[in-house]
Amino acid sequence: MSELPHIRVQDLSYRYDPEATPALLNVNLDIPRGQFVAVLGHNGSGKSTLAKLLNGLFQPTSGSVLVSGMDTNDDDKIWDIRRTAGMVFQNPDNQLVATQVYDDVAFGLENIGVPTEEMPSRIEEALKLTGMSELKDRAPHLLSGGQKQRVAIAGILAMQPEALILDEATAMLDPQGRKEVLQTVLRLNREHGITVVWITHFMEEAAAAERVLVMDHGAVVMDGAPKEIFSQVDKLRSLKLDVPPMTGLAHLMIKKGIKIDPHVLTVDDLVREVKRLCPSCLKD
Amino acid sequence: MPIVLEGLSHSYKSGPQTTVALQNIDLTINDGELLALIGHTGSGKSTLAQHLNGLLTPTSGRVLLNGQDINEKSAQRRQLRFRIGLVFQYPEHQLFEETVFKDIAFGPKNMGLSAEEVEVRVRDAMARVGLAYEEMKDRSPFELSGGQMRRVALAGVLAMQPSFLILDEPTAGLDPSARDYLLNDIKQLNDEGTTVVLISHAMDDVARLATRVAVLEKGRLVMEGAPEEIFTQQDKLSSMGLDIPESYKLQKRLSDLGLDLPPVSSLNDLADELTKRLLGGDGDDA
Repeated sequence: MSELPHIRVQDLSYRYDPEATPALLNVNLDIPRGQFVAVLGHNGSGKSTLAKLLNGLFQPTSGSVLVSGMDTNDDDKIWDIRRTAGMVFQNPDNQLVATQVYDDVAFGLENIGVPTEEMPSRIEEALKLTGMSELKDRAPHLLSGGQKQRVAIAGILAMQPEALILDEATAMLDPQGRKEVLQTVLRLNREHGITVVWITHFMEEAAAAERVLVMDHGAVVMDGAPKEIFSQVDKLRSLKLDVPPMTGLAHLMIKKGIKIDPHVLTVDDLVREVKRLCPSCLKD
Repeated sequence: MPIVLEGLSHSYKSGPQTTVALQNIDLTINDGELLALIGHTGSGKSTLAQHLNGLLTPTSGRVLLNGQDINEKSAQRRQLRFRIGLVFQYPEHQLFEETVFKDIAFGPKNMGLSAEEVEVRVRDAMARVGLAYEEMKDRSPFELSGGQMRRVALAGVLAMQPSFLILDEPTAGLDPSARDYLLNDIKQLNDEGTTVVLISHAMDDVARLATRVAVLEKGRLVMEGAPEEIFTQQDKLSSMGLDIPESYKLQKRLSDLGLDLPPVSSLNDLADELTKRLLGGDGDDA
């Protein structure tokens, strides 16, 4: 018997306006449970639209989205879907509502009617998983951007979701904040099996994913492991995207006639290749 | 006509507490350079930027432009400040006019230019940042894409034809193509003689563009020099929580393994150097 993937997108199209060009056109996609998928694409490529369709914030113009077997077209299921697939947005200042971190995490639970006696344990657990326990009494406006995003994630975790969808959640953060948020989400994925859809403009973040999707004009145009995707430097550039610096460097060397592996992503990969190509150049 | 910061200090008062944001900064911004100002969040970069055009006044010390104190009360103060353009973080949040033209015209109008001069300035500034004049001038800035809004905000500053351009995190939140577009604009302005101060967390961009780098930590100027001098001090930068450009990380790793390359900032130069080594000493003789 074939089991449904965690998220199944079938012939999905979406228009903001009946007259407008479709923001998404005929997207088909399966995301298995526990996968960490990064989604790349220039502005207007449809990635944020896809994110909002994955948790039922938008409903399809045509086609369907199934999350844990529940159809986002089914109005009776929409609240269950949003609880099971939580979403984090770009601006850390627009997502927090309470005057204390703890209350902010509690907010979502109150909304979905979790019994009062069950709330403290869920909140403590969510704060622990995001490394925010020590700051639970702090006012959110006194937190750094990275900490604010971790509180937003804690608020979702308290609802015990099976998937997290992050729509450029690191775009407004400094490098340290970006690392904090990425590490937190990677850990939730690896240690707790939470499915992650990570939308980003930062190639180095996508390089940390298991799978990378590239979107253009409302369609998924590339789909594969980071090394497969990023080795296609010219194609990515034609889609107005970047490649990680070391991939770019390897590509420049290839053009100069060096037979370096085009799948290089990191400094470690490049050092390994230099060693392979010229063992006498480096000492052990 | 350099900008000279002399013993610049700045403290904020919030209630009974005083926070020292900048402490005794001596720094000269030379004509025609592209100075990158880097530092951890809270190190004082944005506070420093706001002193450069007189938006904040120093608690002590001075900001001199062409030898004149920009905060001294004089008839020239306004004129001095017009020469220094500041582009804030997320400058598109400060767009407010109903059309792109009016928004960009706001600064030059304030300078007391005639309507004809203002129009010339707006046309020039829009051309500089790649906005088509006829197509865009009557549109509302609020229905543009994020990258376009950012360019309108930049054009508003450029229309004042400043000699100095101070940019606070100009690429934050932009997608890669909008980012490259903006960085190319900045590079070109600098090539044509505008002095640029670039505040950025994106170290790969800094390594590629800057002619000089100044590092702030806890309100003090702690390092200052050519990119090759700064980014080779990796332990020191890491201890301040700063990133290191990948090209420099690679050079350091290779150097630790006995392969020393001349310090280079751009990936193109690095590719040249590495190619030379690999073709020169390939494994044939091993």
